[in-house]
Amino acid sequence: MNRLEIENRMSQCNQCGFCQAACPVFRVTGHEAGVARGRLTLLRALLAGELSWTEEVEEPLFNCLLCGACTANCFPAVPTADLVLAARQEYLDRAGKNALHRLLFDHLLPYPDRLRIAARAAAVGQKRGLPQMAGALGLLRIFGGDFPEIVKIIERPPLLPLRDRLKPGTVIGASNRPKAGYFVGCGMDMVCPDAAHGTLNLLDRMGFGATVLGNCCCGLPAHSYGDLRAAQKLAVKNLNLFRDDTHDVIVTDCSSCAAFLKKYPSLFPSGDPRREQALGFAAKVRDLTQLVAENPVSPGTREKKLIVTYHDPCHAVRGQGISREPREALNNLPGVEFREMTEADWCCGGAGSYSLTHYRLARRIIDRKASHIAQSQADVVVTSCPACMIHLDYGLRINNIPVKVAHISQMLQGTAAMGGSPV
Amino acid sequence: MDTGFITALEKIVGPEFVSANRPGRKVYSYDASLVEGMPGAVVFPGHSGEVAAIVRLAEASGIPYVPRGFGTNLSGGSIAPDGGLVIGLARFNRILDIQLENRRVVVQPGVPNLDLQNALAPFGFFYAPDPASQKVATLGGNAAENSGGPRCLKYGVTTNHILEMEVVLPGGETARLGGPNGDAPGGDLRGLFIGSEGTFGIVTELTVRILPLPEAVITMLVVYDGLDEAARTVSDIISAGIIPAALEMMDQPVMQAVEDSFPCGYPRDAAAVLIIEVEGPADGLETQAGHIDRICRQNNCREIRRAHNERERTALWAGRRGAFGAVARLAPRYLVADSTVPRTRLPEALEQVGRIVEQYGLTCGNVFHAGDGNLHPLILFDPKEPGQYERVHQAGREVMELCVALGGTITGEHGVGLEKQEGMRLVFSEDDLALMQDLKAAIDPAGRLNPGKIVPPDIEVKETVPFHDPGRFSPGALAPGSEEEAVDMVCWAGSTGNALRPVGTGRRADYGRRTSVELSTLSTRRLTRIHEYDPSNQVISAGAGVTIGTLQDILADHNQWLPLRAPLDAETTLGGVAALACFGPERLFHGAPRDLALGLQFISGRGRIIQAGGRVVKNVAGYDLTRLMIGSAGCLGLITRVTLKVTQRPQVCRGLVAEGPIDACRQAAEGLLRSKTQPAFLAAWPLSPGVWRFRAGFENLAETVESCLKTAREVLDRAGLASSVEDHPLREGPWADPYERIYRLPVVVRMDLPLNRLFDFTGSSPIPLDGSDLLWDMGSGRLLLGLTDLPEDIWSALARRAFQEGGYAVLEKAPESLKATTDVYGPKQSAWPLLGRIKKAMDPGNIFSPWQMPGVI
Repeated sequence: MNRLEIENRMSQCNQCGFCQAACPVFRVTGHEAGVARGRLTLLRALLAGELSWTEEVEEPLFNCLLCGACTANCFPAVPTADLVLAARQEYLDRAGKNALHRLLFDHLLPYPDRLRIAARAAAVGQKRGLPQMAGALGLLRIFGGDFPEIVKIIERPPLLPLRDRLKPGTVIGASNRPKAGYFVGCGMDMVCPDAAHGTLNLLDRMGFGATVLGNCCCGLPAHSYGDLRAAQKLAVKNLNLFRDDTHDVIVTDCSSCAAFLKKYPSLFPSGDPRREQALGFAAKVRDLTQLVAENPVSPGTREKKLIVTYHDPCHAVRGQGISREPREALNNLPGVEFREMTEADWCCGGAGSYSLTHYRLARRIIDRKASHIAQSQADVVVTSCPACMIHLDYGLRINNIPVKVAHISQMLQGTAAMGGSPV
Repeated sequence: MDTGFITALEKIVGPEFVSANRPGRKVYSYDASLVEGMPGAVVFPGHSGEVAAIVRLAEASGIPYVPRGFGTNLSGGSIAPDGGLVIGLARFNRILDIQLENRRVVVQPGVPNLDLQNALAPFGFFYAPDPASQKVATLGGNAAENSGGPRCLKYGVTTNHILEMEVVLPGGETARLGGPNGDAPGGDLRGLFIGSEGTFGIVTELTVRILPLPEAVITMLVVYDGLDEAARTVSDIISAGIIPAALEMMDQPVMQAVEDSFPCGYPRDAAAVLIIEVEGPADGLETQAGHIDRICRQNNCREIRRAHNERERTALWAGRRGAFGAVARLAPRYLVADSTVPRTRLPEALEQVGRIVEQYGLTCGNVFHAGDGNLHPLILFDPKEPGQYERVHQAGREVMELCVALGGTITGEHGVGLEKQEGMRLVFSEDDLALMQDLKAAIDPAGRLNPGKIVPPDIEVKETVPFHDPGRFSPGALAPGSEEEAVDMVCWAGSTGNALRPVGTGRRADYGRRTSVELSTLSTRRLTRIHEYDPSNQVISAGAGVTIGTLQDILADHNQWLPLRAPLDAETTLGGVAALACFGPERLFHGAPRDLALGLQFISGRGRIIQAGGRVVKNVAGYDLTRLMIGSAGCLGLITRVTLKVTQRPQVCRGLVAEGPIDACRQAAEGLLRSKTQPAFLAAWPLSPGVWRFRAGFENLAETVESCLKTAREVLDRAGLASSVEDHPLREGPWADPYERIYRLPVVVRMDLPLNRLFDFTGSSPIPLDGSDLLWDMGSGRLLLGLTDLPEDIWSALARRAFQEGGYAVLEKAPESLKATTDVYGPKQSAWPLLGRIKKAMDPGNIFSPWQMPGVI
């Protein structure tokens, strides 16, 4: 967006305040600085020079979940998340990136191998009760006093990421079938490898020949942080993997990755050849939940009745407009009673690394979510984004709510949920 | 802002609940209106004790402070003066107690209206006021603005649904205003505070009335090719005496903006639509819809659609409720006018508004509560275009002038705030405004609470009118023949040191405390003019001396009536009904005088004629003196005129009558209060020891009443009461006999308690109730008890009990000997000091009923 476009979109907020009803941050803080109307006012004031780009504006710029609920509830559909992102970019240009983010976006995320080594070191460290790796990364400094709580978010980081089990290039399913490239999200790879494995088996049952890709991070974390250049760099790296692509579809079971991969063209200005390349790529990208609807698998059987509810990842429901498909798939499962929960499409507060950088806010948001899950009386809450899974699992655990969290592929495969027991 | 002040704030609430940096204040510099002001700090208290501490601190530091909910105000009421303190109530976000058996909910003011609706829906109940912004408008804000909403056409506005509130007053004291059915003795402070736009106190808790959800709803979308035809339809529906639950209108520009946002089912090519909703018991609903259907067709509607399911209905309402936001697609900003006109003037009002807006080279969209005559032209503009801001305000001012000229008012529900102060002079005289200013000063002597709102700034201070002819009247019984003569009498009394007791017929002149002062009666019995009767708009304005009987005769000619049955007979005057806030068990369905009065005129203690309210059904211009005067029992002034909302007569008045033990009556009443039958009244009285007569009445269309009777009979059967059907007379209802027996006794006690407390109370009353002369109003929670004698200690025990149970007892009638040793109003209440200050402001010479008002020592 150029400046004129930004100003035009911002001027479409006439301060009716309806965004307050839908904003998960506002509903727990009650503070206008945490809602679209307030953020837009601050952006206007920044543009007008009434406020300056100092640390004072950092919190309101960075405590947005970017969940998009405000826009979905806004009659003129002011794209607040996009405007906040543009402001984050401006802020970083002026204030500079901090050391942690440089390490993460410039030196770890572009290199899947390095990232896996780092994750494993962190996991080992945590098992010993010593978050050494995290400490070494300077996390303690960044997260301050909340750090001891934050390390509990991931209960038991798996020791073996997916791509240490199945090397990139591994093909599951016969080669004469439609070809699916399985784009491995960082979260699926390193935190939910069992679910990722389940996805590959599911693709097999759907009749695909699925290849494990050697992709790097999709770029969403960098983009959300406001680092467009880092995001572009990651996108280019991934796009280059598909130069001579022969896949019929590119599938990912992380809705956040899927939404961002589909957004690749918008990272490049029109006329840029990379944009053309990105358009071709994006057309092939499928969220696993879409495929589930297009390629139903024959249901197995289940002896015990299970009550299941569904949590909409922001990047599925608002990022890609997916809400019907996963519900239908769950409803069709034998022995499953699907039960809608209140505010199912509200952000869980995980929001990528939000639960790490804004632990206290995220905690209040997940507490609200956890109480809705409990009210639904479900046995399992299903979703399709690893960040949501991690945060839902944490919220339920810390509130002593005995509901399991499962990825939709685990549910459809009948394999283990987070925490290990079968669903 | 001074760092010492910020530190002190942080000490009260904790540092995380104070915002003092620039961005933190900037986001509290606006609301949904066009006004802005940069606060010096924002603080978020967590309980009323913290609110009180903040108020004390701000006053001690000389800093103005402004309460704020979610900042959706449309008149700038929540904007702080530059450098002021915003007190954000977002942390008051809990629903404290849902009491279905009492038909009420205790709730904190920071809860959005829709959250309450969502919490009640699973129980089959709802809270009637439903402002279009209900998703984000908080209940505290609703109370401050006296909010309306689409459904208010049928159910009334916020003031008709708030029973009780806890407020932190300027100075830091906390008071409870109102009571179990709202009307605390001495004057309706709750009514005065509702709509005071946060200038009298900070609400920290609300008790609101809830109602069972209707059995059925029909939602119609009526499509028109012409705006005027839609407007005429509205006028015709109201004139035909039909009151739908909602009657909204939207014109083409707004519909298009809404449809561009979300497809809600509105026709883009139509000039206007009406959204009409009828609701109630399923039987009879089609008949009502059929009437409306015919009127729409007579006015050349293009098409009538019905919402086929809840999804379609929800979509239509979502579009209507989001319309203000949607017009941002048309222009960056808008000024929303909020003027109200009599419903029959709607066609010309709309036409003229269009002309005014065009004249200023602007455009507007219309989306509004047509059934209330409450216009909302959204005058669109771009603040970046030079001159537009000024032009839009001039256009807004002309719209107000137009609506006032048509018999309406400047604001129906959005409030005066900072945007409409100058408009106040269009509807109020300098005397009226001076009185409002006096009231504000009495309640907020330091002047730091939300200053500079509502009353325009340059009001002249008024003194009592001197009177130079002391011999013109002599003490005794005075009865002015005109309002002017009444003014003279008041001024005479003021200059000669005489005290006056306002009366009607004089039959209740003994109401209130014992007075040792010599009183002259000032009777309204000669003020019998009917000033205006507009049957099409269902409004009548009459002198205070007009009796209920006369009024009903006049109304009967147009098949209308005043749905009120005073405890005394047809000779009761309108002034008496208003001053004593008389109501009978029909309050359950029809409301009390405070719900029916649109405005009144009175003579203040300074000898000025004051106009309160107006003659339109929705009116939030200025402080609600109408509600304050109703029930003030002649202590604040002489009511000389009353303007009332009247209604079509019901087709039938029919009920179930049964006899049985008190517990069975209770069970029947509780069952009916939870049912969807909409009874007009529920009451019981003892016939002989152990045997009570129970009566449930229904007043409506014949077929509706029939179906309600059927359901009601099942409820009574379950309670073990064998019932028979009986008609009752429209005017007197079935109460003539019990009232007569109660009031002929020397002592009459009135008790108002929460419904379930009253039920329990009857089992453990300090006085045996069985076999007494009493009327137990089981729908409003009132017990009226006649006694031959009441020892002081028993009265005190009774009054204390009532107070402990969350209500009060009043000695309506008592021998002087009892009055000499006790207070007829019972134990002291937290609101009384405030009543005393108000009395002093309105009647500084203590002319009217001195020492009668609770709180005056």
